[in-house]
Amino acid sequence: MSVAHPFADASHPAQPDVLLVDDDEINLLLTALGLRDRGFNIVEASSGEQALELLRNWTPDIIVLDALMPGLDGFDTCRRLRRMHGFENIPVLMLTGLDDDASITRAYEAGATDFFVKTPQWSLLTGRLHYLLRASRTRIELERSKSKLARAQDLARMGSFDWWRGERGNRGGLRMSPEALRVFGFAPQEEVSLRALLRMVPQSDRRAFLRLLHQALKHSSVLATDVSIVLLDGRGRIIHVEAEPEFNEFGNGAGYTGIVQDVTDRRVAEDRIRQLANFDSLTGLPNRRQLIWRAERALEQARRLQHQFALLLIDLDRFKMINDTLGHGAGDELLVEVGRRLRACVRHSDQVTDGALEGSNPRSHRALEAVGRLGGDEFVALLPEVVSEHDAERVAQRVLEALREPIFVSGQECFVTASVGVAIFPRDGNSVVDLLRNSDIAMYSVKAQGKNASAVYSPQLAGRGREKLELETALHKAIEREEIVLHYQPKIDVRAARMVGVEALMRWQRGSTLVAPSEFMPMAEDTGLIVPLSEWALREAARQARLWQEAFGFADSIAVNLPSRLFERSDLVEHIHQCVTAVDVPHRVIRLEITEDNLMKELQNVIPSLHRLNEIGVEISIDDFGTGYSSLAYLTTLPISELKIDRSFVRELGITPQSSAVVTAIIALARSLGLRVVAEGVESLRQLEVLHRLGCVVMQGFLFSRAVPPGELQRWLEQTVLPRKAPWIGAAGDGTREDGELRPAGARPFR
Amino acid sequence: MSATDPSSADPLRAQPQPLDPAALKRLNDLDPDGRNGLLRRVMSAFDVSLSRMLVQLSAELEDGNAGVVSTVAHTLKSPAMSIGALPLAAACAEVEKRLREGRSGDLRADIQRLLAEGEAALLSVRAMLRE
Repeated sequence: MSVAHPFADASHPAQPDVLLVDDDEINLLLTALGLRDRGFNIVEASSGEQALELLRNWTPDIIVLDALMPGLDGFDTCRRLRRMHGFENIPVLMLTGLDDDASITRAYEAGATDFFVKTPQWSLLTGRLHYLLRASRTRIELERSKSKLARAQDLARMGSFDWWRGERGNRGGLRMSPEALRVFGFAPQEEVSLRALLRMVPQSDRRAFLRLLHQALKHSSVLATDVSIVLLDGRGRIIHVEAEPEFNEFGNGAGYTGIVQDVTDRRVAEDRIRQLANFDSLTGLPNRRQLIWRAERALEQARRLQHQFALLLIDLDRFKMINDTLGHGAGDELLVEVGRRLRACVRHSDQVTDGALEGSNPRSHRALEAVGRLGGDEFVALLPEVVSEHDAERVAQRVLEALREPIFVSGQECFVTASVGVAIFPRDGNSVVDLLRNSDIAMYSVKAQGKNASAVYSPQLAGRGREKLELETALHKAIEREEIVLHYQPKIDVRAARMVGVEALMRWQRGSTLVAPSEFMPMAEDTGLIVPLSEWALREAARQARLWQEAFGFADSIAVNLPSRLFERSDLVEHIHQCVTAVDVPHRVIRLEITEDNLMKELQNVIPSLHRLNEIGVEISIDDFGTGYSSLAYLTTLPISELKIDRSFVRELGITPQSSAVVTAIIALARSLGLRVVAEGVESLRQLEVLHRLGCVVMQGFLFSRAVPPGELQRWLEQTVLPRKAPWIGAAGDGTREDGELRPAGARPFR
Repeated sequence: MSATDPSSADPLRAQPQPLDPAALKRLNDLDPDGRNGLLRRVMSAFDVSLSRMLVQLSAELEDGNAGVVSTVAHTLKSPAMSIGALPLAAACAEVEKRLREGRSGDLRADIQRLLAEGEAALLSVRAMLRE
């Protein structure tokens, strides 16, 4: 007899628990039996009191209550159980008589879910019970899903709302979910009008927002926008509003339904990204990308409105020195302060929105005006409209003026100056790239003329700039085109009248002209070309030593000048090793010269290399000695073998007494350290004599020979030194002096 | 006082009326093989309940309280229907409805009618119980 009821389904409890309450014994018995037969689990109670007692520690799926009972009747029982926790929503079926209309109303008022007429037809009752159970389950699921939605909305700081126009018989207005209210900082049940919400939009944005709302309403269009609001507690938030129009039966817009969401965090993140992408993190100024964007907008506007605009390139003078001396931290501090001062020189606007430029305001491009940082110590001032170049020059002067006050960094007063180059659209360029390049050229012309000034671009400047650029390009190709050559100047032992080594000097044979090192070496240093040039020089010197060895038994050393940065390279020793072994000459064939200045500046970085070079037999010579600030203490520990007296002392010899004092001191120092001394720039016999008298025997200078190509050196040896035809031979008296111990160990006359 | 004693009822009506076969079938359906002794339990319960009600009703013949009569009618109506004592069920329904609508009318006649139908039903039930 137990048949699965058509209402039953899988998710339903197999045997729903039913509390059956009836004072009539027979009815209770029969109903219980009838329902048990149909798959219900029945608990019987014969009075309202007993039912409530049972419910204290048990919860059925459904309660069936007889309406009329002595004592606590069905209505009171229902009313009471509804007040009990957990029974607010339990389905309650009230059983009434067939013709008892009053009871039906009372049943609903007491909180019954439904009523049913007492019947001995159990299948009808069963059907009603299943229906109620399913409705209850649906309700529970709905509640659950509603609370899930509420929770999800809450997490997303989102809530729903609807808004209806006031129409006949319909007041209209705004209704917000508790979550939406929370977005605006209100309590869940608070009544909030649209007007009150609009008042939360800051005055400055309100008009635009209202216009947007009116537009949407007028066209019944979808609304999707972000709006800033200020909560009642003063916190600012950004709210995303998204709503769709609702239409009445006549197809007219009747209202909107949608969501509001607090997107402050997202917007803050987006703003941060925009900030990082467009602003220099150190100074907070617009960065290169933002500057170029602004310049391009300015250019469009200038073209359209037929006015001029100006770019000022501002480059700090000697910033690298400040950075090197005071450290990067101080350098950064300085840049921040410079940025702050430069900002004050123009009508700087931090933010420009696309919208701001589209307005009909003919002055809107003014908002582009700004100072930005291109990178390093380079700043740009963008003046979106100038009447003439004088406007730009005035700003340039303001910039120079702004930097005149000292800047305190790391507790020190720093004086910083700048060179400013100005380019004007359209005269000095038709694109941002051209204008930037030309302001750069103008800025360089200021640097070349002594810095701390401004210059407006002119085509003549460009000519000079182009030359420089061409030179740089040409230098790049000079090595592969074999335009770089080494010339050699002999070092002479004047007592023995013989050559004891040569110094290799780099020359650039550019077409028919010989470019002096002073013209291209600074550029080689700046561009880093010095590294490949030096490496080439080492290879070439080794190769030449091999050729001379074969030609006339050359066994001395070729000194190659190296900048300190090469000594810092870990592969220098390996490179020299390769150069000499490739041509099968001993390592000592290469001698390295480093200027005293260079050595002392990078001493700590250079010392390890010096030791390793010494170990493989490469000797080190200190060039231009006496001009730098050598710590004598260091000198005693360095693995060096030769000091070269700077030509400035030699030139003054016999003219000022101080110079001979310096030379004497250097020679004494060298002697005490066991170093060879070489005098550079010896041009006269008189200088030779004095030097020799002071105890210096190895010399170098025009008196003997200028730096000459390798073939010429051999010829000079064969035609001048060997036949002892030169006027200086004999001037030093053939080593007859008492300071003969200076003769280098193992030295032998050339042939 | 004879009214309180079922055995002193009108001898013409002392013949038990048969109970409604449809109702009896429904009861049988609830306990098809009689394992639960349902029919007997129901009839016994009704016997006890009905006897008590008839005593209560007789007491109201003197100074009739409509409320008590209405409650008795209501209480008897549903089980009478269930066991198939249809005339009693109909009498109960009529009396209850009228009293609830405030039309008390001749309360004494109502009581007498209920007593008569009640005693008839009692006879039938007891006859069933004797079988």
